[in-house]
Amino acid sequence: MTNHWIDIKNSDYILVMGSNPARNHPISIKWVRKAVEKGARLISVDPRYTATSREAHIYAPIRSGTDIAFLGGMIRYILENKLCFYDYVRHYTNASFLVNPGFRLPGDNNGVFSGLHGRNTPEGVVDGRYDKATWEYQRDKNGVIKKDMTLEDPNCVFQLLKKHFSRYTLDTVSSITGTPRERLEAVYSTYARSGAPDKSGTVLYAMGWTQHTVGTQNIRAMSIIQLLLGNIGMAGGGVNALRGESNVQGSTDHCLLYHILPGYLKMPRASQADFDHYNKKYTPKTVEPQSANWWSNYPRYSASLLREFYGREVPLEEAYRFLPKIDDGENYSWLTIFDRMCRGGFKGLFAWGQNPACSGANANKTRIALARLDWLVNVNLFDNETGSFWKGPGMDPGKIKTEVFMLPCAASFEKEGSITNSGRWMQWRYKAVDPPGEAKPDSDIINMLYARVRHLYEKEKGAFPDPIIKLRWEYGPKDGNGRVIHIDSHMVAKEINGYFLEDKTVRGKKFRKGELVPDFTYLCDDGSTSSGNWLYCNSYNGHGNMAARRGRHDPSGLGLYQGWAWCWPLNRRILYNRASVDIHGRPWAPSKPVIRWAGGKWKGDVPDGGWPPLSAGRDSRLPFIMQSEGMGRIFGPGLSDGPFPEHYEPLESPLERNILSPQFVSPVIKRWDFQTGTGTLNARATSDPRYPIVCTTYRVTEHWQTGVMTRWQPWLAELEPAMFVEMGRELAEIKKIRNGDKVIVRSVRGAVEAVALVTVRLRPLAVDGRLVHQVGIPYHYGWATTADREYGPGDRKPEVLTFGDSANLVTPNIGDGNTMIPETKAFMVDVIKKA
Amino acid sequence: MEEMAICIDVAKCMGCRACQVACKNWNCLGAEQTENIGSHENPPDLSARTWNRLVYRETLMPNGDVMWSFFNDRCRHCNPPSCAEGAEDVPGAVVWDDSGAVVYTDKTRELDFDDFFSYCPYGIPRQDPETGRIYKCTMCIDRITNGLEPACVKACPTGALNFGTKKQMLRYARARISELGPNANLYPGEDYNTLWVLPESEESYNLARATSARKHYRAAREPFSGVLAGAVFAVLGFLNFITQRRGKVADTEDNNR
Repeated sequence: MTNHWIDIKNSDYILVMGSNPARNHPISIKWVRKAVEKGARLISVDPRYTATSREAHIYAPIRSGTDIAFLGGMIRYILENKLCFYDYVRHYTNASFLVNPGFRLPGDNNGVFSGLHGRNTPEGVVDGRYDKATWEYQRDKNGVIKKDMTLEDPNCVFQLLKKHFSRYTLDTVSSITGTPRERLEAVYSTYARSGAPDKSGTVLYAMGWTQHTVGTQNIRAMSIIQLLLGNIGMAGGGVNALRGESNVQGSTDHCLLYHILPGYLKMPRASQADFDHYNKKYTPKTVEPQSANWWSNYPRYSASLLREFYGREVPLEEAYRFLPKIDDGENYSWLTIFDRMCRGGFKGLFAWGQNPACSGANANKTRIALARLDWLVNVNLFDNETGSFWKGPGMDPGKIKTEVFMLPCAASFEKEGSITNSGRWMQWRYKAVDPPGEAKPDSDIINMLYARVRHLYEKEKGAFPDPIIKLRWEYGPKDGNGRVIHIDSHMVAKEINGYFLEDKTVRGKKFRKGELVPDFTYLCDDGSTSSGNWLYCNSYNGHGNMAARRGRHDPSGLGLYQGWAWCWPLNRRILYNRASVDIHGRPWAPSKPVIRWAGGKWKGDVPDGGWPPLSAGRDSRLPFIMQSEGMGRIFGPGLSDGPFPEHYEPLESPLERNILSPQFVSPVIKRWDFQTGTGTLNARATSDPRYPIVCTTYRVTEHWQTGVMTRWQPWLAELEPAMFVEMGRELAEIKKIRNGDKVIVRSVRGAVEAVALVTVRLRPLAVDGRLVHQVGIPYHYGWATTADREYGPGDRKPEVLTFGDSANLVTPNIGDGNTMIPETKAFMVDVIKKA
Repeated sequence: MEEMAICIDVAKCMGCRACQVACKNWNCLGAEQTENIGSHENPPDLSARTWNRLVYRETLMPNGDVMWSFFNDRCRHCNPPSCAEGAEDVPGAVVWDDSGAVVYTDKTRELDFDDFFSYCPYGIPRQDPETGRIYKCTMCIDRITNGLEPACVKACPTGALNFGTKKQMLRYARARISELGPNANLYPGEDYNTLWVLPESEESYNLARATSARKHYRAAREPFSGVLAGAVFAVLGFLNFITQRRGKVADTEDNNR
């Protein structure tokens, strides 16, 4: 979230789309309601009338997978009706930037942007890749971007945006999304009112936006709207991803994903042979006056990270050489890993705190992949469908070679440490009870593993032992042999913050060797500082463990609670807050000022840099400090699939055509469905009468993820004991299905049994001149806790048995063009009554 | 103790069922082997192990809008409790506490369940088939007599469940009814210690006003404290823990100033 949970209360217009907070983030509704009590308007856009829709002033149904069309229509509406916040757009966004005249929009270029190379097929280009030469800005002789502050130049971003989205008329959008025209207008006209300078609008989204082949562009579309309406940086504004796990923000910050290192530093590629080359590649340069270009500090952060990993004894250059590298052109995301595993490309797997056999898209493929491993280590609280995959449905244990080890681990309340919530608040948590039996905290399991692996390298050497042997491992008290006995969370937290490794003067301030670094503005690129994650440098310093703070003072009245826990970066509660004021530092919304310039300094939240307001000229800096141009990006040339969002159909669609263009699905997504000889393993069935129903997936309040923690909890299992499929009455009638019937939901890849839940909350939509039905299935079930399996002598039987297996048995293995997150929110199925 | 009440503000309920889980947690009630029979509602009925449950109801309105309501069904804690009349033969089986809570004790085993059940106009009491004991919501008598709100109220994230003195709750209910508009009403009525603020008419929730209430019966209210001495002790321990914890939190806060 650019903002945070409590801040929702400051909003005037709340758009909930791609999420269902009343069910999946119930506490957030408290803040939504506080806003509504003060007069805010709440809008819910969802394929299904949800518990959140029930709270809303306006509900608009939508065909799953058509969010860009919906939001593109809103962009057009804002521009056509001149509802932008023009001062904000001019001064704080790249709307005025001039783009290469050779740039072509999809409307003039067969549905794709200029520069696409790929294979032509009847449904457009596939396996495409963009050459972005025409996506560049025009520059003057000094390299400064040319701008037209009147926003009239036909090549300026603003005019290109207008032209691009002029195709997204109400009728076209309604025909794509199935949303009735008057509902579209109601949503657009209401939300656009947040463009008034003193009003703010927020968007609450979750997996309903991300889990699409165009997931990144869904969020881009909304970011554009937020920039046009001047909602970024404002109290009650921002772009807010509701994180479903208590610590998913923290795990991302600390590089859960393969392509990043802690603090969103880039994972090096094989061709980046030396540290200098690597730093140069990822340190952006700018000649824009007034651009802070914060990432120009990249070498300070990367050097400090290497120091944390390997200490002062290993030269930075050598430490860089020790880092694992991604082979050029390779992608190690979930879908590719499991595809490779399926083809025998892996010997072993640590399934750590996860349940791939149920959680990964196209679960049949995942389960087959697990059987191709030599060994599998399942680290979890409970046995699950992954650890026991070899005795799951359709498996013959006698024919499976995989050796499985179960390592029981501690739950969150059985260990001390921090979590970082959706609003970027790092909050310290204390241990409540000891873990049961042999269960250990994950960090202690890693510590034991490390000790063994290191010992083996010391004894047997191996191909490249140094990266392991020379690792610094200062994370706990040591025994006589120098081995860490157990992990101390405080020592880890301090390593993450970082130390001065020598006596050092930075910006006139003297520091002693061994001192904690006060914040990341003191990190150095010469190897004199360490920091395990620059974003968290400031979280555990001379003032103590900032995450453990519990101050309840809120002088802002906005719910910033700056003394409660700690928030990255630098305890800044609302990101890009320098955009919440005019060029003189006066708040756009005087009744809810995030910061304001008074008496020669900023008051309020920690500003995005202490420079004076823009009117100060050369001494000031533009508000979007993480962009090299300093401006909010309406035009976003960094993405793989286009600088503007464009509507493409999901990989599996009920339609034969993309109403907007000859390009059917996103041209840049990585496709597996062309592979031959893999049967239905990677199959796709689009526009196929055998699978005429749009299916989406979601969650219920009572279960967590694949249900490993909740299906064993009898009080939760009794509330939602079974896999269900929600379907409209109209579809049920066609399919001769009665409420409560056992049915089979099947896609071209697999099938899952469910209980039919016939409801008036899902209704057919008129799409491209026909009726399209949608159904929805929950994510949480698995065969391991059901009645129809064998329980051996050593198997624990749950107190309340559940019914049904994973929704992922029917979902497709296809990822977003930028992030590879699977498209599990829109695919095609059939539903039949079980004989 | 002053007369207390739970007020259920139906318009504020979003159907998360934290109340159902909290009730089972505090009162150590087991789960039931349920199945989905075409509704999110579960368990399917009140039972000896399920003392409150949400009833989900969805209706397609003529204008195409959906009305989706969540009604939390449980003991009304009638004033006076007509079930107490059905237990006259077994003194101490039904206790009407001066807090307003109507509590069934272990002695309910000695009652004829079918006869006893017929005294409740709302069909609330349930018998444990194994022990014969009869159960229902106790208003968390062990908590409220020790200054805590009932477990369900504590767990409610939206303020749909409220607890306070009867006077406070009636004031709250009246204020909410005037906010919610002409269809809003108080259910079942003022002579109860569980009060529902319904935003729509009773018929919208499939509720019928009590038909068999035996208004002639006046039971004497009595303090409940003796009955649950053990539980009270446990609760005091918990209170002590909370007090200490608050002290610790305050210390941390001071340290960080």
